[in-house]
Amino acid sequence: MNTTASVELTGITKRYRGTTALEGVDLSLRPGITGLLGPNGAGKTTLLRILATVLAPDAGVVRLLGRVPTSAEALAEIRRRLGYLPQEMGFPRGFTGFAFVEYVAVLKEWTARDSRHEEVRRVLDLVDLGDVATRRVRALSGGQRRRVGLAQALLGAPDLLLLDEPTTGVDPEQRVSLRQVLSTAGERSTIVLSTHQTEDVAALCDRVVVLDRGRILFDGSVRDLVGTARGRVWLADAPDPQARASWRTGTGRHRNVGALAPRGSEPTEPTLEDAYLLLLGGRGQTTGVAA
Amino acid sequence: MTTWHADDALLADYVAGDAGPVNGASLEQHLLQCSECRARIATHQPTAPLELVWSRIRQQAEAPAPTPLQRVLLRLRMPESDALLVASAPSLRSSWLFGLLACMGFVVLAAKLGGNEGLAFFLLVAPLVPVAGVALAYGPDVDPVYEVALGTPYPAARLVLLRTAAVLTTSLPLVAGTSLLVPGLGRVAFTWLLPALAFSVLVLAASTWFRPVQVAAVLGAGWAGAVVTAGIVRDLTAVLDPALLVGYAVVGIAAALVLRLRLHSPTPPRSLL
Repeated sequence: MNTTASVELTGITKRYRGTTALEGVDLSLRPGITGLLGPNGAGKTTLLRILATVLAPDAGVVRLLGRVPTSAEALAEIRRRLGYLPQEMGFPRGFTGFAFVEYVAVLKEWTARDSRHEEVRRVLDLVDLGDVATRRVRALSGGQRRRVGLAQALLGAPDLLLLDEPTTGVDPEQRVSLRQVLSTAGERSTIVLSTHQTEDVAALCDRVVVLDRGRILFDGSVRDLVGTARGRVWLADAPDPQARASWRTGTGRHRNVGALAPRGSEPTEPTLEDAYLLLLGGRGQTTGVAA
Repeated sequence: MTTWHADDALLADYVAGDAGPVNGASLEQHLLQCSECRARIATHQPTAPLELVWSRIRQQAEAPAPTPLQRVLLRLRMPESDALLVASAPSLRSSWLFGLLACMGFVVLAAKLGGNEGLAFFLLVAPLVPVAGVALAYGPDVDPVYEVALGTPYPAARLVLLRTAAVLTTSLPLVAGTSLLVPGLGRVAFTWLLPALAFSVLVLAASTWFRPVQVAAVLGAGWAGAVVTAGIVRDLTAVLDPALLVGYAVVGIAAALVLRLRLHSPTPPRSLL
């Protein structure tokens, strides 16, 4: 496995009209899958856009795949080895899944028709869309459209794969199938997976970076992050008002996250979600997770 | 019923065409009677050619057939991949088509008004129609694939140029044809084409740095200001004086040179997302 850093960010700062999206972010990534977690507005999408070379930082140094994307030549070289799935992606009217991925393939310099078609079919098959390749994208379900988006990012087996919410709207069976695709790709490529789905991060990522208000709150292994919640998650018969988050589980017991061993409670194994909640201090996060 | 069966080596040789005429004929006779050997010989059929055939069938079925526009462009010797990008422009056309129709409405209104008011309408709108077409051919405001395209090595200037070609070939003849309907235009019916082209190329060149819509908006405001000022100070057609026409030509040529330089450079990261 290649052990040189594919991504090196030093002191990255980005502001939008007075709002700080990223503040002095330092990050070094090697091949493997890194999960990017954080609440809305934490700066995840901005970070991914900077990594995708579509957005320039206001300050700091970006080095991607060994090149600094300041010259035209370096930019082109990086973009040839890059796959990017933006958070929001539209599809031109009338395009089939095949036509859309082929359009992006042309932009990625697949000029020879036969090899381009072969590659388009390969990536559509990878995301299990081979059967609906001739259907119009706008007629596909939300999850299928997301997979069309993922297919274009996988074109050419990129060395750096940047995925912003790739599993939004994708059903559980497909998510597992996509995890297989990504885990295989992660053996040789550097993958950055920005998501709200902590279970995807727990299942896939060897490393997790938590962003909040433009700064890195945590950078380490999933196991280490989960470890920070050990002894702080309890199952009890009643909700604990002192807990960061508390909800009634399917078994009828209450899961109290961040509580101090309330009476009659028993400790339980924390999840990545628990650790993430505790790290963020539970600010505005409990309602969505407790459901 | 037979008790003898062909061995695997013979079956493999037969499938490969290497069994020879005697062994081949003998095996064929045997296969007619022996279902077991018929089943076994099927396993010796190489699958690669079958996969190849299936792959070609899928390719034919899944790849969209070239559109009439694509076929025309291919006949004009445009590279196949570029033709595909140009042909995709019509699928983005609803936004610029609306703008084009709105502008055409203004021109028709100008024809109806006639006289100085008609001329003012015409001068304000006609040169900006192709500019609007260029502005709406690419950019975050109109292109759903903009962000993905920005992250690819394909130069935005080349993409926008290809699309613009598709847009201009429809919008320019339309407006030029309509201009003949506006009474009392005189030489203006033709000279407006020069600033229209110069501005279009300028938007193209500037689109490698800025949002095309923003550039077109600034240019449009500037042009409207110039027409109004000319109308107040002297006469409307002053914006198309011979000296200014030379100026438009110079601006257009300079922008074309810049565009040529930028045509092969990947689009720089934007601060506009």
